[in-house]
Amino acid sequence: MKTTNELKKHKVLIANRGEIAIRIMEACCKLGLKFVALFTAPDQHSEHCVMAQKLGGDESLYRVSSYLDANEIFAVADHAKATAIHPGYGFFAEDYRFARRVAQRERKLIFIGPSWQVIRELGDKINTKRLARKLGVPTVPGSDKPVTDDLEAENIAKSLFDFQKEQGVGNPVILVKASAGGGGMGIEEVTDLDKFRSVLRRIKNYSKRQFRDESVLIEQRIFDFNHLEVQVLADRTGMSPVHFGTRNCSVQSLGRQKRIEVAPGFDPTSTRYAFDAQKVLEDITEYSLRMAKEAGYDNIGTWEWIVSPTGQPFLMEVNTRIQVENGVSARIASIKGQKGVDLIAEQIRVGLGAALGYAQEDICLEGVGIEYRIIAEDPDNKFIPWVGRITSFDWPDFPWLTMHTQVPRDREYEIPTDFDPNLALAIVWGQTLEEARIRGKEFLHALTLCGENASGEALKSNISFLERKSDTVLVF
Amino acid sequence: MVDVKTLLQELREEPYEKIVIRAPHAGTVEFVSSTPGTRVVGPSGTWKEKPGTLLIRLEREKNKKPIYAPQKGEIMALADLKPGEFVQAGQELMTIRHYLTREEVIGRILRQSLFLFLAPEKGRYYFIPDVDIKIKTKGSQSVAVEEGLELFILSRMKRETAIRYTGPSGIIYAIYFDTNDSVERESPLIGVCPEDQLGQIQEVVSRVQSDWEEQD
Amino acid sequence: MDIEKRTQELRDRLKYVQDIFGPDENSNVSMLDAKLNEFILREPSLTKQEVIRQLETLEELFRFLEKKLERELTPMNKVRIVRHPQRICLKDILENVYDNYTEIGGQDDYSIDPSMLIARAYVTRKRGKKVHNQPVMVIGQEKGHGQEFRNGGSVKPWGNAKALHYMKVAETENIPIHTYIFTPGSYPIEDYPGAAQQIAKNLYEMAGLKVPIVAVISEGGSGGAEAIGLADTRIMMSHGYYSVISPEGAAAIEGRLRGGQRADLKLIERCADQLKMTADDNKTMGYIDWKIHEPELGARPEHYDFFRKLRKAVIASTDEIVLNVSGMRMLRSFALKRHKGANVYVRWTLSTRAKERLLWVRYLKFRRMAQGAYLDKRHWFSRGSEALGEVCSSLYSYFRYDLLGRQRKKVSELAEDVHAEIQVVMGRSARYWGKVLSKLFFKKDKKEVDKEELTTLTPWNGSDQNLGQWQYISPQAKEDQSITCPNAGVHGCLDQWAPDLFGEWAGVCSFCGHHFPMEYQWYIHNIFDPGSVREIFSEIESINPLQFDGFDLKLDEAKRRTGHKCGCMTFEARIEGTTVMVAMFMAAFRGGSVGAAEGEKFIRAMERARKKQLPFLSYVHGTAGIRIQEGVNGVIQMPRCTMAVRRYSEAGGLYLVLYDTNSYAGPVASFLGCSPYQFAVRSANVGFAGPGVIKETTGLDIPPNYHNAFQALSRGHIQGIWDRREIRHNLVQSLQTMGGRNLYYR
Repeated sequence: MKTTNELKKHKVLIANRGEIAIRIMEACCKLGLKFVALFTAPDQHSEHCVMAQKLGGDESLYRVSSYLDANEIFAVADHAKATAIHPGYGFFAEDYRFARRVAQRERKLIFIGPSWQVIRELGDKINTKRLARKLGVPTVPGSDKPVTDDLEAENIAKSLFDFQKEQGVGNPVILVKASAGGGGMGIEEVTDLDKFRSVLRRIKNYSKRQFRDESVLIEQRIFDFNHLEVQVLADRTGMSPVHFGTRNCSVQSLGRQKRIEVAPGFDPTSTRYAFDAQKVLEDITEYSLRMAKEAGYDNIGTWEWIVSPTGQPFLMEVNTRIQVENGVSARIASIKGQKGVDLIAEQIRVGLGAALGYAQEDICLEGVGIEYRIIAEDPDNKFIPWVGRITSFDWPDFPWLTMHTQVPRDREYEIPTDFDPNLALAIVWGQTLEEARIRGKEFLHALTLCGENASGEALKSNISFLERKSDTVLVF
Repeated sequence: MVDVKTLLQELREEPYEKIVIRAPHAGTVEFVSSTPGTRVVGPSGTWKEKPGTLLIRLEREKNKKPIYAPQKGEIMALADLKPGEFVQAGQELMTIRHYLTREEVIGRILRQSLFLFLAPEKGRYYFIPDVDIKIKTKGSQSVAVEEGLELFILSRMKRETAIRYTGPSGIIYAIYFDTNDSVERESPLIGVCPEDQLGQIQEVVSRVQSDWEEQD
Repeated sequence: MDIEKRTQELRDRLKYVQDIFGPDENSNVSMLDAKLNEFILREPSLTKQEVIRQLETLEELFRFLEKKLERELTPMNKVRIVRHPQRICLKDILENVYDNYTEIGGQDDYSIDPSMLIARAYVTRKRGKKVHNQPVMVIGQEKGHGQEFRNGGSVKPWGNAKALHYMKVAETENIPIHTYIFTPGSYPIEDYPGAAQQIAKNLYEMAGLKVPIVAVISEGGSGGAEAIGLADTRIMMSHGYYSVISPEGAAAIEGRLRGGQRADLKLIERCADQLKMTADDNKTMGYIDWKIHEPELGARPEHYDFFRKLRKAVIASTDEIVLNVSGMRMLRSFALKRHKGANVYVRWTLSTRAKERLLWVRYLKFRRMAQGAYLDKRHWFSRGSEALGEVCSSLYSYFRYDLLGRQRKKVSELAEDVHAEIQVVMGRSARYWGKVLSKLFFKKDKKEVDKEELTTLTPWNGSDQNLGQWQYISPQAKEDQSITCPNAGVHGCLDQWAPDLFGEWAGVCSFCGHHFPMEYQWYIHNIFDPGSVREIFSEIESINPLQFDGFDLKLDEAKRRTGHKCGCMTFEARIEGTTVMVAMFMAAFRGGSVGAAEGEKFIRAMERARKKQLPFLSYVHGTAGIRIQEGVNGVIQMPRCTMAVRRYSEAGGLYLVLYDTNSYAGPVASFLGCSPYQFAVRSANVGFAGPGVIKETTGLDIPPNYHNAFQALSRGHIQGIWDRREIRHNLVQSLQTMGGRNLYYR
């Protein structure tokens, strides 16, 4: 078993940018680890560069040509004598080939994340679905293997319609997905069995062109669902994985991008649900851990669920990485009575080989956390990003508030155009849902975010959208 | 009409362009042409298929990549680096003094006389596919533009928006941006020559052709 | 006046001799030069008698030394003879050999290709009181005594297409074809129809042309010669050359010259020597039937005797071919054999049966060539038993496919017809009964999906299919290093890690799709069913038939390095259960060049595929062309292999070609290019001559992507481009959708 002192020999390369890079370097400092950070030319004024130099000195910051060029990362890692790589989220976080290269290159490094085999296994939609079914975990009704035969596809579609009618669904809809697709590409819905053939043809053609693969998945389309998550953590010693409760991420923008995340996933103490919400939370938590154990999960991860209006949960996918919204779960948690849980630090610790050191019963969850993603965008106009210069960004330091941002508070900041438009994450905590909502709105009200673009137009942000949505979080 | 004579005079006083060779990515360097004053040449051949003078080898992940001279010129200075020293992306490695060619002189003068369509926003720009194909096959001067024509795609924040051309009708005489780079707001994207000025522009061109002596 | 003319004549003769002997020091040539100059210098001071006397001596000296020089001619001198502007050309032959002619499709430079000349001509023969005008189609390259627009007899692809067109016309009209070969080689451009592809078409068509073909070779330069050279009788002029490549070309390859460097003269001479390209060499090796003697130092337009000789030769050859395959022939063919050019009359039209025989004789003629240019090391016993096996298998296939197969096919076709008829008669009621029947016998549609299956695990055995795992992993995937895509500059591809690139991605750039070359083993193991590859004819071995300098060493090195005895591996393999015959040309063995051993293996594999009725795949992992060090032993594989392809295709086989990496020259211009189903692996280059050769021979600068698969597809030279990772799938698809009538697996 690795002791904390042994861990301190490590140096972590942070293969990411923005707020997550800052959170990772802070976690490293907390653990007494050295780190090295990267930046690209458009990011040179990002706060993560300032922080890297502040926390680690000049030699802990390297300029690279692109965050997406793995060779660049390894070249820097070798030169800086890093021993481990933290991928953050996005970029290489769920790329099993990258994780494999980290582990198999001549100068081996540690990938802070699940093993590459686990990433490959759970990164594959079909594999994940089949693993779930094997363990009796509920999945979206439909096929669980790639369908290539047209007749078979049609038969599945037909019985899916019948199935939904039997379940009392008024207007059944099915989805045809390219089995090699992802990220919303190559998906179409079918409301009428007669149109199935033409949709199938279209998806197959698309898939053949795009992925050299003709097979499809056919699934029931579930409407008006809530999007829930279970935060899972496991170490590399083979001990049972633990969880840090659930989150509800149902407030999203048009393009299915999360805007507010709340922990826990439902609040039956204050809100009425049409189903046994407590049981749903317990069920999905248990299912997630069951799968994590079976898959030999060995780092941090999130099981994503959709819950239908009648309270039926279906497993959607597994994110084999740290997520943006990990902080909101950490905010309501305590380990052995200690508050101030840092899931990123925990991830690094177990990633470097340390044992978890606590069991499920040592983890307590208390109160409600709300995380707002503050973004310069126009919620009234398709959430189009706003580009320009931020002139002031400030907020009162409330005791119940945690902020994560790469936007400097003390100087102006040009929003880079090459990345996701997140500016800041604000996590608000309250003893009850009601208190959390009130504090959330108080914070949003007190937040200043001003700026203008080159044509002199004022900054547009989603703050009012977030305020509006605060009243109804966890209502289902 | 621009004062070609004065412009040419100005250029004659400073007929060089300083080309800075930067590390395209991290790696260890090895200088091949390492004496200041060495003459180098740019790519040649009918299709520019022969690379220019080999200047530097940059090795990253056991992959040695050659860096060639992009233009004809003379090595001015080298970065103070030991053989095999590690450099980061974007680090300055070498500077080359390049004597302006006729084409470049024409380009510089035209930049002052053409109508420049400026980038309305910061971001990456692409020509719309139709125009792109036309430019790639027949050259930019085959493309006529007019007010309101959908000409560019602006890509930023992972979203794409179409940009319409505003300005006088004419043909695209010069392109000033590279699809791989982010364009700052208000930097010129294209230079358009209004049809009625085509004659004058050609005059500038022939004037430079005869007046500007190229140097080796 | 007369004196001046005679002096001029001597001057011309000296000039000619000097041209022929070129820069080499030759005492006889110097002597002629000295004597003639001395005479010219002294002439004004001499009396007329003295001038005449000296002139006569001088002429005598010329005659004497020319005779002497004739005996000293080196192969390179002969090359200079056939290239000399004074060399006889096709127009001279038309004027002097035939009794009448009309040129077809050309008037000087007004022609689709002035270097290819077509003429309808006839020869007049008197038998007793009867006069016979026997028509022939005359086809050949025209050099026009150095007329620039004739391009030195270097024919463009469309010129060869014109030649083929008129060969087909001759076939329709049932008249013989006389071809005259005066070419240094084809004009190596890819413009439609493409140099290589057109030559391949010509060869393929000539292999089955049902009229007698006589070819006369003066300058037989590689592919260009083959384009019209596949003939029943091949005559060669004694001062001509017939070679796989020009001596200069060979020297450039031997000397490893690049970018327009010139080879030195000594090397060129040595190559000319070693290529064994003269008429005598070719006669000895059996690649020509007759040698026809030329006057001293080569035939020129004023040598009327020679034309008479030539006339006799082509007529006699045509007679002989016809007699050899027709019924009534005994006496006449006897007479012909006793005395070449005996004056007998033979009608030149062929009966249907004679035509079939003609093709069979032609096939055998070429099939028997080059037998001494490779090594077959097997014990006589195993050869014998193989021959026996061949007999058995052809008997078996006769019964299995021809007799029984045909019967069975007839029966099943009859059954289909009957069934269709019944359906029409029964109409709707049949459909009704069909439904009732199916309800009675099958309770439930097999494909009905159980609702249970929508929410629980269903059986599936393909779980590892989508993880990009291959049976064979390239050794290139073992290096811990990153690789730059050659298109990185254009497409912005990032460097990729070798284990990913050459492992999971099968050597395909994941950004732009560029295909990096992979070892041939990758294909063997990842395309065919595991464990199904069975190599055949592996004992056939490449040798150095011309004793080409230093080639033994190179050959041994190639054998040692690859573990193969020649550059072509032939094997049977299964793909999704279907057995296919495969000939694979390996770039690793002498650049994948084709010589006698490779050709022989290819032909044997073709013959076996025909007997066993297997589809045939030529997988060209790479070929640089014909192996030049084997000379004509190599180039003759072009017609030989193409004839085998033709025989196989006509027997109903499916012949697929798949090009990978780089495929050029002879093989593409013959047995590969003649396939109607040619595909290329993406990023492959396919063409006739590489950029260097094109620049050298035509002066044209070609773009870097000139031979790229996409260009080849646009030109119509290939029929599709395959992604490496989909080759197996595409082959299965091809087997299902293409192929001749006799492939029983369908």
